[in-house]
Amino acid sequence: MAASSQRKILKELTLEPGTGKALEVRRGQVLRIAQTSGRQCADFNCFNLHDYKEFFHTGRTRHLHGLHPTKGDFLWSAPPRERPMMAIIEDTVGTNDVLYPRCSGFLFEHQYGLPVHTNCHDIQAEAQREYGLTPDDVHDSFNFFMHTGVSPDGHPFIAENTAREGDYVEVLALMDVLAVPNVCGADVMKTSDFELKPLTLTVFEATAEDWRNVPDFPKLRNQRSPADFKVKNIKVDRELYRDESYRPEFVNVPLVISELEVELSPSEMESLERLKATGKYGDTDAEVLRYVVFTWWISRFMRGPKHASP
Amino acid sequence: MTTRIKLRLNQQQLELIDKTVKEGEAADRAELVRRALKEFVQARPTSPAAGE
Repeated sequence: MAASSQRKILKELTLEPGTGKALEVRRGQVLRIAQTSGRQCADFNCFNLHDYKEFFHTGRTRHLHGLHPTKGDFLWSAPPRERPMMAIIEDTVGTNDVLYPRCSGFLFEHQYGLPVHTNCHDIQAEAQREYGLTPDDVHDSFNFFMHTGVSPDGHPFIAENTAREGDYVEVLALMDVLAVPNVCGADVMKTSDFELKPLTLTVFEATAEDWRNVPDFPKLRNQRSPADFKVKNIKVDRELYRDESYRPEFVNVPLVISELEVELSPSEMESLERLKATGKYGDTDAEVLRYVVFTWWISRFMRGPKHASP
Repeated sequence: MTTRIKLRLNQQQLELIDKTVKEGEAADRAELVRRALKEFVQARPTSPAAGE
């Protein structure tokens, strides 16, 4: 219960099964999502409150924090914005998921023969409608309290829910956001152990101690805003048609290949030939050496997760 | 007796190599490549296939 006794509570509500709620959470406010009786998954969407085209991105979050982000990790917005929108400052369970997409009406109709059924996409859409968003605006969710894994043969799986009564997660807004949690609607999947339970939501004013739980994060020129876009306005019609004035301006194109000549000693060549003989790094000496150079560079200098197999 | 290897690299890959040289990690491009080979092999003394 770090810091909660000193916090000012701004809002408290209960999310009933089958529902979600769009909440304005301002920079410097903390949203707590708490279990009531336990074993309940919460799906979550998040938008920049002042520009809904910036929204939470499971892919970048998964890339930077792995399949189970937890305390100390961020909820990142989609490229090309790529800013931390919220920081996870507490997580009493540690079974969050950014692998699975939200469940949907299609899924229950296709897999269960149930054409009208609670599902996270439709719950999100209904909650987001309060702010003028459409069902197309619902994005892949951050799945709090969803216990998942990947089998050795590469298939994802859902395991038993380990959240218990009173467990909670807390996310601190690093920008003004529209935060949209919902009680996962999947009552015939393992996600919430086959029973939908309420969740409680509390919005606090963050304390200095809360801010101390937010790690430093990068601020780079490639975290772009609409001011950087060639097309600055949001398209308002649904039809796609060609811009006759379009001229491609791809970055660093053309990519020009040149040769870098390197002299290797007999012992260096011996090492290179041994690597080539494995058949894993390329077919020619030059291909193997290039593979070696950049793999070494990644292991030695690259910031963040290396994404190299063990 | 040395052997000459010609690496095919685009300008972005060379930019990364040059940036690393400029930061003092090697005297020049070729030395950086040789250092990479040496340290790559040192990190995989018994099983060169492991690691990627």
